[in-house]
Amino acid sequence: MSLIVVASILFGIGLFGVMVRRDIIAVLIAVEIMMGAALVLLVALGSGTAALGDVARISRAQSVGLLVLVAAAAEAAVGLALLVAIARRWQSTRIDEMTEGRG
Amino acid sequence: MTAIVVFWLLSALAIAGALLAITSRDVLRTAGGLGAFLLAVAGFFALYGAGLIALAEIFLYVGGVLVLILFAMMLVHRSERGRPDLESRPSVAAVFASAAFVVALIGVLAPAAVLPRAATNMSTPSDVAELLLGTYLPQFEIAGVLLLAGLAAVVAVMGGDDR
Repeated sequence: MSLIVVASILFGIGLFGVMVRRDIIAVLIAVEIMMGAALVLLVALGSGTAALGDVARISRAQSVGLLVLVAAAAEAAVGLALLVAIARRWQSTRIDEMTEGRG
Repeated sequence: MTAIVVFWLLSALAIAGALLAITSRDVLRTAGGLGAFLLAVAGFFALYGAGLIALAEIFLYVGGVLVLILFAMMLVHRSERGRPDLESRPSVAAVFASAAFVVALIGVLAPAAVLPRAATNMSTPSDVAELLLGTYLPQFEIAGVLLLAGLAAVVAVMGGDDR
């Protein structure tokens, strides 16, 4: 129960960051925090009542967690590359100045 | 008993790091907060018996992504004097919206989840390798292709300006 509360609070902090930050790098950091919170919960709940020593179950949770970690790392790398490209184009990293795509 | 103390220490570190990363306007404090959060996440993995992913988290995120983020900050803000300033627009609505989301998340997850305790056994890397190169081989290959696609995307995005 306590882990669920802690992970939810961490996810909420990340969500708050996405809503209030104006710099695109800070928004990306907030997204990383949300991703980290979700990943902790995924691995811990996947292990289940692993205190009983079910190594096979921990390994399964860990394998899935590793695959998610790889996807998250790829996302971070592509996100940062896009960020640098956007900063070159707009000469700014503030999200409220990027209005070209507005409908 | 020790596991409970470690759990709460890690929780405090993670929440303090995340709050610092979200609220600070200073680049280095933001990066430091994110680093503390990522280390706490790695600690959680170790606490739940996932030693390999804890190591991967430290190598990949603390050693890789965090440095990449710092590099991006330095690249992007190089024309400004001094340290770059990361602005926020604090709003009460955002506080309430995220608090409501947290409450909803706890409400949904708490009844459904089997509650984990700290692990007494660690799974070894060979256990994970057997799974990744056996049962989860297709997913493993797809993750590899995804990484390659990510690499190609980064080269395409960054190389576009020079032509």
